[in-house]
Amino acid sequence: MAEQATGHGGRLVGRGRYLYAVSRGLPSDALADVPGLGDGRLEVLEHQGLSAVVSDVDLEEYGEEGLRRNLERLDWLEEVARRHDEVVHAVAEHGPVAPLRLATICLDDVGVRRRVEEWHDALEQVLDRVDGRSEWSVKAFAARAEPQPAASAPAGEGEGGAAYLRRKKAETLTRAEGEEQALKVAEEVHARLSAVSVASRRLPPQDPRLTGHVGTMTLNGAYLVDTARADEFADAVRAAQADHPEAGIDAAGPWPPYSFAMLEQP
Amino acid sequence: MTDASGPVPASRPYSGPVGERGSWGRPQQPANLADILERVLDKGIIIAGDIRVNLLDIELLTIKIRLLIVSVDKAKEMGIDWWRNDPMLSTSEQGLADENRRLRERLEELESGEGSSQGG
Repeated sequence: MAEQATGHGGRLVGRGRYLYAVSRGLPSDALADVPGLGDGRLEVLEHQGLSAVVSDVDLEEYGEEGLRRNLERLDWLEEVARRHDEVVHAVAEHGPVAPLRLATICLDDVGVRRRVEEWHDALEQVLDRVDGRSEWSVKAFAARAEPQPAASAPAGEGEGGAAYLRRKKAETLTRAEGEEQALKVAEEVHARLSAVSVASRRLPPQDPRLTGHVGTMTLNGAYLVDTARADEFADAVRAAQADHPEAGIDAAGPWPPYSFAMLEQP
Repeated sequence: MTDASGPVPASRPYSGPVGERGSWGRPQQPANLADILERVLDKGIIIAGDIRVNLLDIELLTIKIRLLIVSVDKAKEMGIDWWRNDPMLSTSEQGLADENRRLRERLEELESGEGSSQGG
């Protein structure tokens, strides 16, 4: 149980309640085998027909001060992000899930119940929207411009300055055309996948330093797909991959519907 | 045009080839860290808890991640852990505002004209 006390300098010490996700009709033992953050035990808090998934966390680590410090540590962040995501996935195995943003923390169960009450209708709407659906991520890339083959320079022209400039100009044109073409491909792929999705959105391209990809990410799409139409969506991905082998189209999923679980602000 | 000329995305399918299973089984390999952070930090439901996390901090962190960090997995594979000592990545009160501004400018540069429509 959460209990807290005020320590030195008014700082909160003790335990808080970390809120991972909200679902409904979640059996109380559904998550018995799934570890929470810091290997804490996951609990299902039933309130007003909604199931809030929580676990105890140490406020030394997850209090305002601790979070400020820890969020700057990538190893800490990665561990928490992966664990949070694993819990959300586990909830999704049992029913519709409304994932909460990382580090949503209340002081006690009273605080959790209060949030469920405040946001009850909006949460219900989100759960209705995502029920029986999951998210897929599809990315496409523009290949890095390749050096022009030497064959494109007419023989006997020599390596004079003019020839060099002509070659450079041709390369630039080719690169621009290539980029334009790659963006068109991304549009087209997005349209095709959107047609077999309930909803879709394009997220900002990811930085190659974070993903390690080569070339420019031209499409970072998120698609909310009916489970009943998952095969159709997979076919559409495969067709796009076959039509555009150069775009390195990469599909990942199913994800819990993170990108489609926004609350309508009251 | 051959397959070999295409890019080699580092992100792998989350759970095997698309369409092989429709269930919520455990992923066979860890998802791309960029995909996870993008979702758990930027997406999902925002409800203010009792512990107030400074949004600016998270936003700043996300920007830093987008710009500066290679995936932890990848870095570990390559045997580097430079971020532990990177002054940009350890909190220093000093110069944080400047850094914030620089990062925002850089992010705007990167994101301008991308035509990404962020609905919702």
